[in-house]
Amino acid sequence: MKFASLLKKELREMLNTQTIFMLLLMLFMMYGMGGMLNKSAEKASEESSRITICDLDDTKFTQSVLMFLEHPTSDMQNEVKTVTLKSDDYAAELDRLDVNSFVIIPEGFTDDINNGKQAKVTYVSRMTSMSMLSNVNVGSETALQLITSAVKTAMYSDFKNRGKLTDDEAALIEAPVTVDECTIVRDKSENISQLILYSSLYSRSLFMPLVVYILILLGSQTMINAVSAEKLDKTLETLLSAPITRLHVISAKMLAAAAVALLNAVVYMIGMNNMNLSPTGDIGEEYTKMIEKLGLVFDFRTYLLIGVQMLLTMLISLSIAMILGAFAKNIKSSQTLLLPLMFVTIVPFMACMFLDISTLPGAVRYVLYAIPFTHTFMASDTVMFGKTELYTAGLIYQAVFLIICMTIAVKIFTSDYIFTAGEFIGRRKKKKHAEEDQ
Amino acid sequence: MEDNRPSVLSVEHLSKQYKKGVYASQDVTFDVKEGEIFALIGPNGAGKTTTIRMIATLLKPTEGDALVGGCSIKTDPAGVRENLTYLPDEAGAYKNMKGRQYLRFMAEMYAKDRSQVEGFVKEAEKICSLGDRLNDKIETYSRGMTRKLLLARTIMSKPKIAILDEPTSGLDIINALEIRRMIKVLASDGMSFLLSSHNMLEIEYVSDRVGIIARGHLLEVGRPAELLEKYKADNLEDVFELVVMKKDITGW
Repeated sequence: MKFASLLKKELREMLNTQTIFMLLLMLFMMYGMGGMLNKSAEKASEESSRITICDLDDTKFTQSVLMFLEHPTSDMQNEVKTVTLKSDDYAAELDRLDVNSFVIIPEGFTDDINNGKQAKVTYVSRMTSMSMLSNVNVGSETALQLITSAVKTAMYSDFKNRGKLTDDEAALIEAPVTVDECTIVRDKSENISQLILYSSLYSRSLFMPLVVYILILLGSQTMINAVSAEKLDKTLETLLSAPITRLHVISAKMLAAAAVALLNAVVYMIGMNNMNLSPTGDIGEEYTKMIEKLGLVFDFRTYLLIGVQMLLTMLISLSIAMILGAFAKNIKSSQTLLLPLMFVTIVPFMACMFLDISTLPGAVRYVLYAIPFTHTFMASDTVMFGKTELYTAGLIYQAVFLIICMTIAVKIFTSDYIFTAGEFIGRRKKKKHAEEDQ
Repeated sequence: MEDNRPSVLSVEHLSKQYKKGVYASQDVTFDVKEGEIFALIGPNGAGKTTTIRMIATLLKPTEGDALVGGCSIKTDPAGVRENLTYLPDEAGAYKNMKGRQYLRFMAEMYAKDRSQVEGFVKEAEKICSLGDRLNDKIETYSRGMTRKLLLARTIMSKPKIAILDEPTSGLDIINALEIRRMIKVLASDGMSFLLSSHNMLEIEYVSDRVGIIARGHLLEVGRPAELLEKYKADNLEDVFELVVMKKDITGW
C-alpha cells in the first residue's frame, strides 16, 4: 500500500499537465508530419510513372523499348513523353520541356546492342534541394531501370537462340546498358550523379537544420531563464528602480544574448565546416571540382547569407523567449511557456530534413513559411540552389517578424506588464482560493 | 508638535486600478520628511507593495501623483530614480557575482564617475560588515548575509529616501535587530526611509510615523505613541484592528 501510494505520487509528479500537453503536441506534430511525408511519397510515386525520353536512335528496337516502357507489366502503365532536343544546353532544355529529368537514347544504341557491346544512355536531372525525399527516384530514373530490363530481355532471347554464352556475353547480359549521368544545378551542369552529390553534401544538409534547432533551443532557454530568474529574484525591480532607462536594460540583455548566440553560431559553423571536409575528400578530387563548379560549396558568401538568417532566427527566438519570460510565475512555468516555441521550431526542422518545402501543396507550404524559423532551416537550400527570391522574401519576413517581437518585448518591459503579466494568469485561481479562505 | 522639516516624499491621492475596477491602492496620501522613518503597515495584499512600486516608478499610477525630491513620478521618473533607492521584499542578488562585484555593479548604476563608484563600494563594505566574505559568490551567502548586502547596496549611495519593503522578513532576531539599528542611525544622519511591513511590533520600535493601510486605503497616519493613545491600545496590532473596525471595512 505504501509503495502504491509512492508510485501514485511519483506518477502524479511526472505526468503533469505540462508533460501531457507536450505529448499531445508531439502526437499532433507526428500526424502532421506523417501526412506531409505520405503526400510527398505519393507525389514521388506519381512522378515515377511520368517518363520523359528523347530517342535519337529511333530504330525499331528503341521503339519497342518505348512501348515496353509504357506497359512494362500487364498491371503497370507509365506516361511516356517522347521529346526532341533543340540544343545541348540541358539546363535550358529542362526549362523548355518543363520537366526535372529526361533520358536520352543516343544514336547507335541499337547497333551497340546488335554488336554485343554495352549500350549507353544519358540521364539528365535537375537537383533543387538537399532534403531526403526530394532526391528519391523520379520518372526518368525509373525509365533507366526499364530500358536495362528491356535490353536484357532482348539480349537474353538472342543469346538463347545462339546457344552457349561466352564469358564476355555473360558479363554483357549482366550490365547491358551504362548510364552517363548529368546533373543540373541552377544553370550549371556536370557529369556527376545526384546520388554522389547528395552523399557528399548530406552531412551538412542534415547538420545545418540541427545546428539552427539547437541554437534556438539553447538561446531561448537561456533567455527565458535569465528573464524569469531576474523577475522572480526581484533583481529586475532593483534594476528598474535605478537611474537607468528600461530600454538600456532590455537592450543589454538582448545584445548579450545575441552575442552569445552569434558566438554559438560561429563555433557551430566552424565545426560544420570541418565536418564536411572528410566526405568531400573521400569522393575524390575530380568530383570535388565538379561540386565546386555546380556551386554546391559552402564558401564565404554561403556562410554569410546563411549566417544572417541564423542571426535573425536567434534574435527572434530570444525576443519571443523574453516576452514569455515576463509571464513566468516560477522556473517550472517558464519551461511550460517555452513549449509552444519548441513546437513551432520542431515542425519546420523535421519538415526541412525530409522535404523540399517549396514543392509542398499551397496551404501547408504557407503555414510553414509563416513560421519564421523555417526560412533558416531552408537557408542552405535557398542559397546553394539559387532560390534567391525565396531567400530574400524569407529574410524580409524574418526582419519584419523580429521588429514586431522586439516592439512587443520593449512594450512589455517599459510598461506595468513586466510586473503584472504573470499575476494576471494566476489571478482567477488566487481569487477562488481567497474566497475559499474567507 | 508640528514637524517643520521639508518633505522628501509627497504622495498625493495615489491610486492604482487593475482591470475591471480592482483597486490595489486607492487615494493614498501621505508625506515623508527629511530624516524621517515612515512605515506603511498592513496585512498581505493591503496595497503596501503596489503603493511602493508606484513611488519607485515601477508601476504607473492610475490617478494621483507622488513627488520624490521634487520630481514627479508621472512626469519625471528618471529624476525620481536619482533620488531614491528601493529594496523589494524577499529580493535576491545575482548569485553568480561575488559580493563586492555586486556592490560595484550597483554602484555603477548610481554613481556619476569612477571615484564615486569607489566611494559607494567602500561605504557599502562598511555598512554590510561582511569582510572577506565579500570575495565569495553570493550563492554561498546565508539569507541574513544577502539581506545585509542588499541593504548596504540600498543605502550606500545616500539617496534622499530609501524604500525598504519588509526589510527584516525572514531574518533571525540578531540580524533583524542589527538592520533596525542601522536604519535608525542612518535616519539620524538625515536619510529618509519609507518602510513597509506587516510586522507591526517592529514598526512600533523603528518608525517615527506610521500609516495603516488595508484593502488599498490608507486609513490612519500618526506617530506610534499618538496612535496608541488615541485608540487606547497596548500596541500597534491592536491599533490596526481598531482602525479597521472603525472604518467598517472588515468583510471586504
